[in-house]
Amino acid sequence: MIRHLIGLLILLILGLIYPWIMPGTLTVGVTILLFAGWATAWDILGGWAGQVSLGHASFVGIGAYFVAIGATEYALAPWWSIPMAVAVAALFALAWGRLTFKLHGPYFTLSTIAIAEILRLIAINEGWLTGGATGVFIDWMPTPFGIDLFERENQYYLALAFAVGVMATTIGISRSRFGYQLRAVREDENSAMAAGINPTRVKLKAFMISSALTAVGGGIYGLMLSFLEPHILFYLLLSVQIALTAIIGGRGTVWGPLVGAVLLVSAGEIFRTSFAEANLLIYGVLILLIILFLPSGIIGEFNRRLTRRLYAKRAQG
Amino acid sequence: MGELVGLIQNISNGLLIGAVYAMVGAGLTLIFGVMRTINFAHGDFVVLGMYTAFAFNMIFGLDPYLSLLVVLPAGFVLGVLIERMVLAPIVDKPHETSLLATLGISLIIGNIMLLTFGGESKSVYVAYASEVVSFGEVRLSVILLLAGAVTALVMGGLYLLLHYAEFGRSIRATAENRLGAELVGINTRSIQGAVFGLGVMLAMTAGVALIPLLFATPTATGPILTLKAFVVIVLGGLGRVGAAVAGGLILGVVEVLGTAYIASAYRDAYGLLFFLIILLFKPEGLFGRSVKRV
Repeated sequence: MIRHLIGLLILLILGLIYPWIMPGTLTVGVTILLFAGWATAWDILGGWAGQVSLGHASFVGIGAYFVAIGATEYALAPWWSIPMAVAVAALFALAWGRLTFKLHGPYFTLSTIAIAEILRLIAINEGWLTGGATGVFIDWMPTPFGIDLFERENQYYLALAFAVGVMATTIGISRSRFGYQLRAVREDENSAMAAGINPTRVKLKAFMISSALTAVGGGIYGLMLSFLEPHILFYLLLSVQIALTAIIGGRGTVWGPLVGAVLLVSAGEIFRTSFAEANLLIYGVLILLIILFLPSGIIGEFNRRLTRRLYAKRAQG
Repeated sequence: MGELVGLIQNISNGLLIGAVYAMVGAGLTLIFGVMRTINFAHGDFVVLGMYTAFAFNMIFGLDPYLSLLVVLPAGFVLGVLIERMVLAPIVDKPHETSLLATLGISLIIGNIMLLTFGGESKSVYVAYASEVVSFGEVRLSVILLLAGAVTALVMGGLYLLLHYAEFGRSIRATAENRLGAELVGINTRSIQGAVFGLGVMLAMTAGVALIPLLFATPTATGPILTLKAFVVIVLGGLGRVGAAVAGGLILGVVEVLGTAYIASAYRDAYGLLFFLIILLFKPEGLFGRSVKRV
């Protein structure tokens, strides 16, 4: 726990000096931090509770659209519209989970894709709600204390606060009673039930926390894009990206999703020139390599080796 | 009377497009039945079939259906290779692992096609595209009829293979009970490779039948078709080819009727909604008798 918190502090410090060292790549920084936050949030459900969702883009979309529609239609500041998005996302996850948590394993995953895809079609076709397929342009933002929220540097600090906040939440969960309940449900629902845990309740709670946090990042993403299109924000491939970031980094670990985000986003940047829009190719290749050679992800494998070495040392005396 | 003719017209169109969905679903259900793998890349194989036909049409000016001569063997070999390299090593891992592996394959295939052919949507224009055959007042387009005929042929062949050939019997035995099949001397490892090859072959054939009918983009069309194939096999009941045929026909009719009488923008949503309802309330499928917990 202490070690994790020290790590988080180091991350915060590194994050704060990053704009000074590399001011030219702030957009990459925002993207890394957003994906780190989303993947960590996804991991609460997908890694700690073991329920692989491929529908998290829906919550990114909810967050982004609340900020955009709030600002353009109702002159709502993001500090009002983001909490609203969080509430809506959590309620939505509650209904979604109630409906689908009786499905297990791959069937749950399939149902998340189906629901997310229906939401995407709604977002594209219901123009009165979302501005439709043409998209929404955010043309107004309040300037609290003279801070321009359209400025990339300010968005960077928001994204940093978001990523650190989500990771702090995960660290808190990992040592709490709830965290142990999540792991129990992931390993074996029947045994968890025998130990007095209600799996559906635990999974619902994980889904609600996960989706609420994802929506916060979605709101920041909306600010960053400032032009929102439903077929990008609610897109299956965004859900896939979020999930694979966490899985490649290491599911059910505190640092895995961050490592995954740094690795995948920077790899995407490096290969952008050679692969252009086909940068998801890297995700495909990496997930195959991970599955075949490091099934518990980069950090998962690292932790496993560390533990093994520790025990070996202890045994030697 | 005009309304009735319209309805018959719509239903026949739905059945014909549904037949192609059935072929896609048959491959997926075959793979699921034997390997217990949910093949996420299935739709991308359909698109790969489409783009192969497209490439043949571009380079040699051949009719898309002639490319079947290449697509059939190439699809089978590709499937066997992928099974050997990626899926065979993880066969005993949890279901999720193979789901993620096929998701990776899907991303790789889709993005390689994107790099090769570019992002614009493609289709093949055939000379007989606007021809129709009239049955009384009902007019059916020739390309739809051709797609339906190819499907009927392929599915007929598949039925004969599964029920009358030794190889097909081994497939069914492996699907029913892998250990039991091994005990009577069936090499289930090679059966799994062959079944994945067969599934990919069916998917790519469906792609060839679909390319004169619709436009396809490399990364976007694949997942949509994968979802449709899931809808098809969950509708009918997992793991049985006959059920996939029924599921495909139902999906085709539901889509066409929803498009015609409710709202065309939600064409892809009707199937998904139906899918969720089935998954939640009758997970063994419409005609299912299995008691397997989903």
